[in-house]
Formats: sequence, C-alpha cells, structure tokens
Amino acid sequence: MNIKIRNTLTEIISASIAIIWMYSKLNAAANMSIASITQVLVQGIGISILATIFFAIVIAIVSAIITKSEEKNVVDERDNMIEFYAWRLSGVIFGISLVIILALLGWFNLPINLGIIAITFSVFLASICSTFLKIYLYR
Amino acid sequence: MIKKKIHIENAVRKLRFNSDEMTQQGLAELVGVSRQTIVAIEKYKYTPSLDLAFKIALAFDREIQEVFFIN
Repeated sequence: MNIKIRNTLTEIISASIAIIWMYSKLNAAANMSIASITQVLVQGIGISILATIFFAIVIAIVSAIITKSEEKNVVDERDNMIEFYAWRLSGVIFGISLVIILALLGWFNLPINLGIIAITFSVFLASICSTFLKIYLYR
Repeated sequence: MIKKKIHIENAVRKLRFNSDEMTQQGLAELVGVSRQTIVAIEKYKYTPSLDLAFKIALAFDREIQEVFFIN
C-alpha cells in the first residue's frame, strides 16, 4: 500500500469516527437546543482533525516499521489533478445535499436543528465520497 | 477536427532498464515526481503533462517522440 492510499485511508477513518461520534451524541437532536447541537458539531469537527493527525502518525510509524524505510510524500501534477477531481466531486455532492436538505426543511416544515445537523453530515459525506474517488484514482 | 480518442503509449519502462536498470524511485527523483506517478505512467494509467514528458525524455537523453508515442 503506497503513501497516497495510506493518507486517504486516514481521512476516511477519521471522518467515519467523527460521524459515528456525532451520531451517538445527536440521537435526541429534535429536542436539543441549537447551542448544544452546534457544540457537538464543532467537537465532532475537532475530533475529526485530531483523529486525522493521530492516525497519520500511527500509520506512518507502523508502515516505517513494516517496510523498514520512510517513504517521502512528494506532491506532483498527478496528485494535484486527483485532488482537483476529488474537490469537484465533493463540491457536487455537497451542493446537491444542500439543495435536498433545504427543500426537505421547507417541504416538511422540519426544525432548523435537523437542517444544521444534516448540512454538517453532508460535508462529511462529501469528504468521504471524495476520498473514495481518490483511492479509486490512486489504485 | 480529430474526435477520435488518442491513446498515448510510452517506452519509459524499456528505457529505464536500458539506463543501467534505473529504478522507478530514481527516475521519480530525477524528474521531481512521486514513484507512484512513474508507476502510473508505465502502466499507461496516466498521461503526463508536456512539461513532465519533456523532463522524462531529457532524463533518458532522448527526443520526446522516442519516449511517448501513439500506437
């Protein structure tokens, strides 16, 4: 497994952990205040960042022990192209999700709490989809 | 207007072996890309930019059309 796929897997793992953590905290979201919901969402984003750093370090150490060599992470034109495709996909997914969420909120007259949660989750969903695209393009 | 999709092939792998069995990592360092990009080019999974194609050709001291060609 090369360094590019390892970094991408790190992103998926950390985003998944953040989503699971937020989902467990937000099971009674309809009755929660907006302040407490946004606290959970900000904490979730923080957990995602910390998990990314933690897993990047752990995976790099484990990989160095197994392969007995340190692989340099060189960023070149192919990486920039793949990153561009991933950004474009995540933008499309987030855009579509945002329209659907706003339409559902208006249509079913849902509380704004759910809207905020759904928009945050759609960011993570877009991020996960874009990382899967990266894995596909790097394989 | 040419509408047909062009499939660009290359002789990077062959030229690498002819250059004292240069490693993929060695070529990558020479042209300033990652080893994965050289792997992708050799497998025809990625067509490099003109800039990188010229750098690779220069690394083997060849003309660009000797390294990259349409089959």
